[in-house]
Amino acid sequence: MSDLLLQVVQGLSLGAVYAGLALALVLVHRFTGIVNFAQGELAMLSTYVAWQLLDAGMPFWAALPVTLAVSVAGGMLVERLVIRRVEGGGELTLVAVTVGLLIFVNAAAGLVWSFAVRSFPNPFPAALGFGSAQSGFSALGVLGVVAVVMLALYVLFRHTGAGLIMRAVVADPVSARLAGIRVGRVLGLGWGLAAGVGAVAGVLVAPLLFLEPNMMGGVLVYALAAAVLGAFRDPVVTVAAGLGLGVAETLAGTYVGFVGADLKVAVPLLVIVAVLLLPRRAAETAPER
Amino acid sequence: MSAVRRRSAAFPDGGPQGGNDPSAGGGPAGPPFLRVSGLRAGYGPARVLNGIELVVGEGEMVAVLGPNGAGKTTLLRALSGMVRGRGSVRLRGTEILGKAPEEVARLGVTHVPEGRGTFAPLTVEENLRIGAHLRRRSHVAEDMRRVLAYFPLLQAHLRQPAGSLSGGEQQMLAVGRALMAQPRLLLLDEPSRGLAPVTTRRLFDVLRAVNLHDGVTVIVVEQNAQLALEFASRALVMETGRLALAGEAGRLGPGRRVASAYLGPRR
Ligand SMILES: Nc1ncnc2c1ncn2[C@@H]1O[C@H](COP(=O)(O)OP(=O)(O)OP(=O)(O)O)[C@@H](O)[C@H]1O
Ligand SMILES: [Mg+2]
Repeated sequence: MSDLLLQVVQGLSLGAVYAGLALALVLVHRFTGIVNFAQGELAMLSTYVAWQLLDAGMPFWAALPVTLAVSVAGGMLVERLVIRRVEGGGELTLVAVTVGLLIFVNAAAGLVWSFAVRSFPNPFPAALGFGSAQSGFSALGVLGVVAVVMLALYVLFRHTGAGLIMRAVVADPVSARLAGIRVGRVLGLGWGLAAGVGAVAGVLVAPLLFLEPNMMGGVLVYALAAAVLGAFRDPVVTVAAGLGLGVAETLAGTYVGFVGADLKVAVPLLVIVAVLLLPRRAAETAPER
Repeated sequence: MSAVRRRSAAFPDGGPQGGNDPSAGGGPAGPPFLRVSGLRAGYGPARVLNGIELVVGEGEMVAVLGPNGAGKTTLLRALSGMVRGRGSVRLRGTEILGKAPEEVARLGVTHVPEGRGTFAPLTVEENLRIGAHLRRRSHVAEDMRRVLAYFPLLQAHLRQPAGSLSGGEQQMLAVGRALMAQPRLLLLDEPSRGLAPVTTRRLFDVLRAVNLHDGVTVIVVEQNAQLALEFASRALVMETGRLALAGEAGRLGPGRRVASAYLGPRR
């Protein structure tokens, strides 16, 4: 594979991870109107769950569904135990709560697993050759898994009865309750789904970044940028933005001399600022999805 | 929830137009279909309902009239659990006051609220399916056909988002969605609002059909007194949080006491 092509593919796979976590952010926001700053830390926690299972000798593709199930349950639990208590508390309260959750989960993970950096096995074996070819193939694997997750979400929301009920709750929770829908449970399920999607992002990014309690910090920043670009509503724009950010970051880090590895975290910041400076009109006329 | 589609045997004395005693609707021995007693409710410190007493028999169609701000909407909200209240609201003997709206809805009480009640981004068909989400899948197609027969205007818009319908079409969709739930008790808050006169009559024809053929008990808030008195078996007039007068619509036509209590002096 040529060097540039490899860079682009790796950028896309990193971007797919950003897109995954961004989708988790969008899900939580659509269901409960909250920007969950702790989404990345929940994904980190999921990744540790996966690591423990792998460490106990479970094969990766068996550990993944177990991790997903644990994560969905965990997300629902967080909604139930924390979020539901502060629901009507105003935006700043909610920001404080999710940021507090971020710090708490991070510290707790450090306490349990220490801040030592661990390596996380790459689930995609070298199908062909070594070196660049291998990283090319594992990047395609990451892209494939994220694509499957997105397809699953699409099918869930558009083609199942449960998805229809979730969309009704998102559209109008009061009318949904009058139709006999147990809205509280559906909102919990939304948090669970988001935690599951975040878990996939965490597990996929861990082999690239190494496993440690702070691993999702940078990813969260990129995911927030992608979610902002999608106005916390549009899944297609969000995913495209995540992929674009991944490619932009990788290429800038490699080809733009002064950016390098340290400055490239500034890319999402620039994107957020640029989006916020765009004329508001564009956002306001965006059709409701 | 089981389908409520009995041809109501609840009119021991000849149908909803007969009988003075609304409590008779509950059957000879059992508790009345709906018994509201000492219902007080409001918003925060502001008390709106001041002790409502009301008994509705199964299969009745009751109209609630009254001036703006009397508390008609609040009464329906209290019945469906949207606002909290004190006192008692029993549906076939089961206390429903204090239950969450979704739990009240699951007992067969469907409330079509004032002004809205459709899911704007969802298509018309999806809205109707949401209405039936508690029912068995096998019944949904047939119910949908029946509701579309009641509101043929919706047929052409099935794949369109509900938010893109006209106000009147949305109102029909809201009622159609409520009917998809096969309710035992249907609460309607000014369903004729924004409808052309012809459409309003059509809507009330549908309500009468649902009431007579499916035995659905209906409580409808309606500003058009003539219409309410024509279609309902009883009319209640609400004034500042109380039911000021209850009578049989057929006997207390406009020009009698209802008229002076609600419509003002005779023209
Ligand atoms: N959400 C609310 N918060 C506070 N007060 C309210 C609220 N809704 C209604 N009220 C008050 O309760 C009283 C009764 O209102 P309600 O909507 O029940 O009247 P209504 O009989 O339905 O009137 P209309 O014929 O205009 O629909 C009014 O004085 C109103 O100001
Ligand atoms: Mg009203």
